[in-house]
Amino acid sequence: MNAPNLPSMKHLQPEFEALKKRYPAGFDSSLTLPCLRRIQEVRGFVADQDIDWLVEYLGVPRVQIEEVLTYYTQFRRQPVGRWHLQTCRNVSCSMRGAERLIDHLSRKLGVKVGETTADGRFTLSVVECLGSCGTAPVVMVNDTYHENMDAAKIDALLGELK
Amino acid sequence: MPDFFINGQPVHAEKGQTVMQAALAAGFYIPYFCWHPHLSVAGNCRVCVVEVEGENGGENWAEIACNMPVSEGMRVLTDSERVRELRKQTLQFILLNHPVDCGICDKAGECMLQDHHYAYNGEPSISTVPKVRATKYHQLSDRIVLDNERCIVCSRCVRFTREISGSHGLAIQNRGDHSLVRAAEDGRFNADPYSDNVVDICPVGALLGKQFLHKARVWYLQATPSVCPGCARGCTVNVWHRKREWKLNHLDPKQNTEIARVTPLENPAVNGPWICNKGRDLAQVFGRARAEQPLLKGKPATLLQAVGAARGLIAEAARPVALVSSWGSNEELAAFKRALGERFACFVKADHRPAPGEVVQDELLIRADKNPNTATARELFGAAPLSFPDGTDLVLVWGEGFDFAGLPRGARVIFLGSYLAPENGHADVFVPLSIQTERAGHYTNFAGVTSSFERCFAKPPNVAHAEEFFAQLAVTAGAR
Amino acid sequence: MTGRKLIMDFPVTATSHLLPDYQARGGYQALRRVLTSLKPEDVTKEVTASGMLGHGGAAFPVGRKWAVIKLDDGQPHYLCANADEGEPGTFKDRWILEHSPHLLLESMLITCYALQVRNCFVYIRGEFDQPYRRLQAAVEEAYAAGYFGENVLGTGFACDIVVYRGAGSYVCGEASALITSIEGKKGYPRNRPPRLTVRGLYQRPTVINNVETLSNVAIIMRMGAEEFRKVGKPKSPGTQLVSISGHVNRPGVYEVEYGYPLDKFIYEDCGGVLGGKGLKCIIPGGISTKVMTAKDIEGVAYDHKAMEAAGSQVGSGGMVVIAEGTCMVRLLHVMLRFYHHESCGQCTPCREGMGWMHRIIERIVKGDGRPGDIDALVRISNANDGTTICGMGDAAGFATVGIIAKYRDEFEYYIANKRSKCEGRLEVAEVADA
Repeated sequence: MNAPNLPSMKHLQPEFEALKKRYPAGFDSSLTLPCLRRIQEVRGFVADQDIDWLVEYLGVPRVQIEEVLTYYTQFRRQPVGRWHLQTCRNVSCSMRGAERLIDHLSRKLGVKVGETTADGRFTLSVVECLGSCGTAPVVMVNDTYHENMDAAKIDALLGELK
Repeated sequence: MPDFFINGQPVHAEKGQTVMQAALAAGFYIPYFCWHPHLSVAGNCRVCVVEVEGENGGENWAEIACNMPVSEGMRVLTDSERVRELRKQTLQFILLNHPVDCGICDKAGECMLQDHHYAYNGEPSISTVPKVRATKYHQLSDRIVLDNERCIVCSRCVRFTREISGSHGLAIQNRGDHSLVRAAEDGRFNADPYSDNVVDICPVGALLGKQFLHKARVWYLQATPSVCPGCARGCTVNVWHRKREWKLNHLDPKQNTEIARVTPLENPAVNGPWICNKGRDLAQVFGRARAEQPLLKGKPATLLQAVGAARGLIAEAARPVALVSSWGSNEELAAFKRALGERFACFVKADHRPAPGEVVQDELLIRADKNPNTATARELFGAAPLSFPDGTDLVLVWGEGFDFAGLPRGARVIFLGSYLAPENGHADVFVPLSIQTERAGHYTNFAGVTSSFERCFAKPPNVAHAEEFFAQLAVTAGAR
Repeated sequence: MTGRKLIMDFPVTATSHLLPDYQARGGYQALRRVLTSLKPEDVTKEVTASGMLGHGGAAFPVGRKWAVIKLDDGQPHYLCANADEGEPGTFKDRWILEHSPHLLLESMLITCYALQVRNCFVYIRGEFDQPYRRLQAAVEEAYAAGYFGENVLGTGFACDIVVYRGAGSYVCGEASALITSIEGKKGYPRNRPPRLTVRGLYQRPTVINNVETLSNVAIIMRMGAEEFRKVGKPKSPGTQLVSISGHVNRPGVYEVEYGYPLDKFIYEDCGGVLGGKGLKCIIPGGISTKVMTAKDIEGVAYDHKAMEAAGSQVGSGGMVVIAEGTCMVRLLHVMLRFYHHESCGQCTPCREGMGWMHRIIERIVKGDGRPGDIDALVRISNANDGTTICGMGDAAGFATVGIIAKYRDEFEYYIANKRSKCEGRLEVAEVADA
């Protein structure tokens, strides 16, 4: 996405410089993932201009960044809702009610999986194993794991997320 | 330097070679898609798998040959039952989602997938699920279209832009069976002067050149070895044109004398297996409107009349100057020297110069001298820059690239050229000449390597071959 | 009690993950002893003598992997702790990251000393936000205390660590994909040769070990190989962190001494099957390990040899308990959907095969299965066995072949009747409807 009036992320450069120092020499390419993560943390997604800047700053080929952005599920080039509801649908979660939870969320929010509510508040996604199988079913909301979820608990949580 | 065995036969391998390299060098064929002799090993197609006999009674094992170092005494089987079964399985996987487009796909007839399928599988698909759909006509660049359904994600094209052309213009996005080859979003693949090589190395009909798209079936065409005249590198090329027995009689017979496409002719001494995009566009260079009629001051004349008039001008000239074409072949240049080298003050002319926006010179193939035979021309006629001596009264211009505004006042002009141009009509004598595709000859490149080109087409009837024509102009001063 | 504890040997409190608590438990003393009185080779000798096997799933002898590193080759070496933990059912490394990060850090320092590594990395999956914060905080504590940096404990040994966050890719748990990700690229696995211990991260000799594996190093150096070998079994010394989930009453992470009875662990220590149901089967160690029925686990000791003899493996220690009445066809569908989602797409058998298998089983669970489908699934699985760049294709194949071998009747039923033999159940009804 490349709307014309997006603010620059170049104010993050001092942070990236400090990060560079923690890596051995010649590891500039490695900074691709941490820099993208940080930009996305601030902006909510990675914009075309961010790619242009990182190409220059890190000296990596543009295609490397383009590939990374499409390969890893956590990176996105479009914004999502304020609260990204990522529900695990893998083995243990499915065995403890994930499918019913996803249906419940879909109906309650009035969106299909992958969609965002009209007010921009919630995006509903399904994800694979989050490494929290013992407390299944698990919903990851932005960066936080919400464990041992059920319909009642998710309803309460949605109420708190403004 | 290890020796090992392939199918029971002893084979010699150089140090550091893989089984693939040693096998091919020794004349054993191992099929492959993603491996390429000039690119890094990707090892993703899994077709080149071979079986290796276990040592000390151990079990046999199977692995890809392209990444298998040769070890002393190893016993490799390239055609065992296990290998054939594994290959067949791999081909079944490749064909799972591959669209059966052969009927409309340009690659048919020169497709590695067709060849390997018929050699090693040959059976219909065993799939019971629908094929994955993807983009079928993606504009990868101004010159290349990409059909993602046909793509087998071998990564040859991506590796080419990374390792050979250095443009880093291509990438594989996403993952799994929704992987897609895509061009970098900043357009650098479009600007890559070597982009079209990916069409050659694509093992299937995924990457196709727009110039050649749906033009002709390859089995109706023949490849004539030639040399690209685009610069002093002199890459050897194949010029493809219709076979005589497949000439079109009613549907557009012009195609019978047109270049259908140009591809590299592999040449370890000059260009390896690559050429730049300019070489691909030779049809446009040679396909320009031709001068087919000798002219005397713009009036049509016969060749005989033109020769007579030219001889007359040459005989009476006091200070004749000749501008020698750097597109002349070795044979033509020698003939010019023999016939006219004494009579004329000769200067070598750069027929073509870098055009605006054209790459001038790079580290790979492209040379700043945009002419194929400056080397021989200078060897015969020196490298002095053009300067008309006082009293120049006759200028013989051979080939393109001379600005006639620079003619000395009062000088007569003999112009020998191939293409229609306004200057043809202004010259005292104009004689049309044949072009490279209408004769055989040699060029010598900037490094002194001489390469040959062969004839593709017959020349138009009233057009002269320079080599014979020059002899007819050999007159001494004052002769009649 | 599931046997002796080496890692989970302290009560988890609000502060037990912090440096002062760790030091109070004896933390970093082994590091001090190693740096001041042992040579690097001595550490490798001790770890080799311990006989410890890797805890990431492959159970490769740790000392043997380390021994490939040539200490005097003049090249930089790298150590990476694999904290990607993406295997479904596996969440035991997370316990260490959250509750005993210093155990990992001390172990990594000792390992770096043994392998002459100047720069080490922890590759942690991107989704593990809380564990990352705990680990990063522990790293800062360790630096402040002089355990990392130019001059560790004043001994002249220098070591720096970077915690590298992934971004959502199961394949990055594969060692060669992991380091390619650290290089800032897509997590594409690499062909071998060359081995990563010869050419790995940025083409330098690299050792990648699982978090739990590394965490045992400080323990081995603390108690000594001989004492370590007294725990567990001769061919499986030490313990295994087991993460157990699914239809079990007390899911969670347990430390199980090798040799402990598997059935006792499940029925007693973990409270048995949800809702009082019978046990149908377990997936013992990651979803690619062969399922073991209730009969299969009877009398089986939890160690590598015994699990193999019983037809399965210890694997990654990610155990999933499956109750009677669960539809195995739908369960396999969840797994194949996962593998299809995660395939990196590089090599032909996996790229095409995962999608193929997923689409076949999708058809089956939707009631449109065909007679040849079971054989097709098995054939595709076998065609991925040993033919791929990394083990993921094989893994999907093993999962498929294992489940079909034990529950072929359910597949045949589903295809013939266009519905599940178990009403399509993945949950335990008594619990779900509660």
